[in-house]
Amino acid sequence: MDDLYLDNIDEFVNDQNKIVTYKWLSLTLGVHVNIAKQMLYHYLQQKRNESSGTPLHATYLVSGKCVENGSTCHKVSVVREDKLDAVKAKMDMTISVHVYSVQRAELKDSSPLYNTDYDTVKENLKNCNKYSAIRCAAAVSLSSAELQRAQEMALVPPVEKEISKPGLNENTSATSKPSAKQPAGIMGMFASKNASKSQESSKEVKTEQKEDSSLVETSKSKTASKANPMSNFFGKSAQKKADEKPNKSIKEEMDGSSTALATASMKQSQTSPKSEIDIKEEQSKVSNALKVESKDTRNKTKRPEVVDCDDEKMESQQKKRRRIKKPQPDSSDDEVVPDSPPVPNVHTPSPKKQVTREPVSHQEVMTEKGYVSESYSESEEEPEPNSQAKDSSSLKQSFGKRKEEKKEKSQKKTSTANKPTKQPSIMGFFKKK
Amino acid sequence: MATLTRQDLNFGQVAADILCEFLEVAIHLILYVREIYPSGIFQKRKKYNVPVQMSCHPELNQYIQDTLHCVKPLIEKNEAEKVVVVIMDKKHHPVERFVFEISQPPLLSISSETLLSHVEQLLRAMILKISVCDAVLDNNPSGCTFTVLVHTREAATRNMEKVQVIKDFPWIVADEQEVHMEEAKLIPLKTMTSDILKMQLYVEERTQKT
Repeated sequence: MDDLYLDNIDEFVNDQNKIVTYKWLSLTLGVHVNIAKQMLYHYLQQKRNESSGTPLHATYLVSGKCVENGSTCHKVSVVREDKLDAVKAKMDMTISVHVYSVQRAELKDSSPLYNTDYDTVKENLKNCNKYSAIRCAAAVSLSSAELQRAQEMALVPPVEKEISKPGLNENTSATSKPSAKQPAGIMGMFASKNASKSQESSKEVKTEQKEDSSLVETSKSKTASKANPMSNFFGKSAQKKADEKPNKSIKEEMDGSSTALATASMKQSQTSPKSEIDIKEEQSKVSNALKVESKDTRNKTKRPEVVDCDDEKMESQQKKRRRIKKPQPDSSDDEVVPDSPPVPNVHTPSPKKQVTREPVSHQEVMTEKGYVSESYSESEEEPEPNSQAKDSSSLKQSFGKRKEEKKEKSQKKTSTANKPTKQPSIMGFFKKK
Repeated sequence: MATLTRQDLNFGQVAADILCEFLEVAIHLILYVREIYPSGIFQKRKKYNVPVQMSCHPELNQYIQDTLHCVKPLIEKNEAEKVVVVIMDKKHHPVERFVFEISQPPLLSISSETLLSHVEQLLRAMILKISVCDAVLDNNPSGCTFTVLVHTREAATRNMEKVQVIKDFPWIVADEQEVHMEEAKLIPLKTMTSDILKMQLYVEERTQKT
């Protein structure tokens, strides 16, 4: 390849003061990502040899195996150049190192890295992996009909599970984790990651962890979990069929409420184009959001960098803490990620432990969901609405209960517990819109 | 917002809301990037679908919010010409001034969703530019403080004094030494033009900072 690209990169970095990530470069110049990485590397070499002009900073993506807390895991992290050697030394085996980005400014945190890629990826959403090195033949976009079906099916079992909890087959505990989730396949992906991680972590399970001094790669989760959404959808639909059988009578009662939920979720989800790649992007947004709100849930004494760590790992390690603080993360999570279909519930990754609690927590979650989707249009990330959310959500809860008592006295308590809380949330969402 | 009719929407108010939200994020980001406050008080939050650093310190947040709350009516009436975040050294001499020049285009119209997502994209780009601004700026001396100045058109401030927007949060006419900076270098950062908002961001930097 000719050397014109060096001039191009020079223009981007020095004249326009841009952050040039390899992903951005590959999409902008229309080259394969590996070529983009090499381009950046050559550019860096050339500029450093010249030893004149403005200083350049680079970040690198390091991936390798390391032992953390006694278990080996595959770690992928974005590190600044000055921390590169330290991170490499810490790993047992370094599998790959490549340039992640080149820029003039010394970055203090990883947010601008995500920001640079965001718009170009969004524009090329349908084919953002055109130049990517990670491929999966089975990963094709779902048609919209299939998507709706998958979401509907995902909605029915969690609602059923609350009622039929005693006496259900306990042997499906591992698989019941993803099935007990709310419709978003995003949280399902996290759960399936959890399950697989506990089994075998020396395999290709890519977990993102945080080095104390390094920056976390946020968009990596996009490509890393590419195969998971598909398998998750298939897995879920298979489970739905198994779960649906024993609960036919209850299902009829649930049908009314669940289809209402499904339509609400579908309407919400159809605001964004639905393809697997979009889900991935949402997942990266959600993982971002989770990282963001994981900060909120944790104590503020921790420094920002440290808290920026793996969602799944955190969830598995701190299930108890999560459970207690459940209402808050959900509401802040909702504020942070309004576009995705009904709420990636942060508490759901450990449904097994929480099976007994689920009716209560589910209700709390639903009410807060209802409020927060309203408040989104007002302000996105202020902490004040959070406390307000709690006050009004408790009001809503009592309102919902009274309504429910008037209407459906004959029906089962848990089924009605869901219905009134849904009403405010659906209406609230559409009213504000 | 889609259910509100066009008569309900006061375009000036909407533009002012968007701008004040953006200014809040921008001020927090400037404080983070220029290291006015230790990075420990900052926390990653999400705005315009990207992570941004916002402070958790309640008094600082309250101060910034009160400031912008007072500025908002000026922006609605298109009386605010510039909003300036001045960074001053220990002797209260300005070392850097981040100037947001604001203007509203005469034909204010909000047509569709795509407009707002376009504005979001432009604001995202502004935020990105602030994040990398320390490539073009020299380091500040330690112990800097900041303040916010508003340059208004005509005599809008006289009205402000009569009507105090927030009690116990008075605005005073700025000292000459805060407004003018000797030996200033001008570094443009970003310009954005959209149907509801026009904004220019540049930095005036003192050549000798220490």
